[in-house]
Amino acid sequence: MADLSTNIAGIKSPNPFWLASAPPTNSGYQVQRAFEAGWGGAVWKTLGDPILNVSSRFAAVSFNGQKVAGFNNIELITDRPLEVNLKEIYETKKKYPNHAIIASLMVEPKQEKWHEIVKKVEEVGVDGLELNFGCPHGMAERGMGAASGQVPALVEQQTYWVKEVAKTPVIVKLTPNITDITATAEAAVNGGADAISMINTINSLAGVDIETWNTIPHVGGKGAHGGYCGPAVKPIALNMVGECARNSRIDVPISGIGGISNWQDAVEFMLMGSTSVQVCTAAMHHGFRIVEDMIDGLNHYLDRKGIASVNEIIGKSVPKYSDWGDLDLNYQIVAHINNDVCINCNKCHIACEDTSHQCIEMLTGTDGKPYLQVREEDCVGCNLCSIVCPVDGAIDMIEKPNELQPMTWNERQEAIANISYVANSTAK
Amino acid sequence: MSEHIEYMKEKTSIDVLLNNGYTIKSITENLSGAFVEFERITGSKIHSETLHILTADARKYFSVHLINRK
Repeated sequence: MADLSTNIAGIKSPNPFWLASAPPTNSGYQVQRAFEAGWGGAVWKTLGDPILNVSSRFAAVSFNGQKVAGFNNIELITDRPLEVNLKEIYETKKKYPNHAIIASLMVEPKQEKWHEIVKKVEEVGVDGLELNFGCPHGMAERGMGAASGQVPALVEQQTYWVKEVAKTPVIVKLTPNITDITATAEAAVNGGADAISMINTINSLAGVDIETWNTIPHVGGKGAHGGYCGPAVKPIALNMVGECARNSRIDVPISGIGGISNWQDAVEFMLMGSTSVQVCTAAMHHGFRIVEDMIDGLNHYLDRKGIASVNEIIGKSVPKYSDWGDLDLNYQIVAHINNDVCINCNKCHIACEDTSHQCIEMLTGTDGKPYLQVREEDCVGCNLCSIVCPVDGAIDMIEKPNELQPMTWNERQEAIANISYVANSTAK
Repeated sequence: MSEHIEYMKEKTSIDVLLNNGYTIKSITENLSGAFVEFERITGSKIHSETLHILTADARKYFSVHLINRK
């Protein structure tokens, strides 16, 4: 069995699987239940001035029979007094000393407010702090959460205030509701953050009831935007983690969040630079015991790869993540249809003919039977046919040797710029 | 018309000039594609030819030649 223990900026946990700050970590009862199930850490539901919630808080987006492809919530931070939460944190930490408990915090952007809550929370023995600069709804209307997290100067200032008094590692949780998350990530680092976590939820409206014309969810006929999470947001989160991981100015560990539902998702986030991963929607959908499969799956994966510690996979895909301008324009793949597997449904032909490059031909064999064939010289390797194909193994995307040497867009433009320069110099 | 056939025609045009001693003198790219000016100097005479390249693959093709010329 591989070593699954992780250490993110000094916060140790027996495995990289943490529950994210959200409804699953609302109370000591829940967090203790989660630790019993096997979770390595929990980020306690955000602490701050107790709020008031509305009824009808969650909505899910299902797609083609996939329940909870995306999840939307308009619930706010804790509605329980700080002392109640702190008592339960203390009791939970005492009972589970080797599990990580991180307190998520959100207060008004005032130095004294941050100092007050940090001191109180650290007194009960948390392993770290996570500053919630990400919640997009409700709290943002009051200048907190995403409202703070969208302004790099506010992220840096508030992180700095926390670091003035914090004795435990400080993680800054970032909002994805911003054009370039590396701007706020850098601000967090400049403010002294020991780690960053991403992503918080994305501004969303789950739907509109076309019969009643109410929003989904609605509160007595009225709605407001919420925060979107779940499997649908994973690609967005993974990109943001990767962008931060490959940025040399963001030199702190990352805790990855966003649609992580199984061990494979966790591995992807870790390969892209996450030291730990945080999960919420999958636990809300299937219960805390999903972590058992996550731990088993990760263990078997590492064993199969001959890797002794999960830490060895952190960031291994980051060097492979680059800018478009550095990709090889002459790398070629083409579609290959395996006619012994193909069921001749023609989906690939229709997709290619209607929306791609018209290179899959419908032919008739000498036996009179129809078959599909790719005209390889016109195939641009877009993958669409293999994406829409309903049969595993019917279409392979295969590498095709190119007589042309590798060449990136940036290299090409540099060469053209040089010849233009030479031509202009000659003309003078 | 197959894009590949179009490319092969343009590639051949480029190859003919390169095989006849022409080199790429300038490249102008705009909304209409690429205009590649070739030049060959024989003695005191300068021969100039311009190809209007339309296909993406041919634009890659002459770019590789340009890079290799360094």
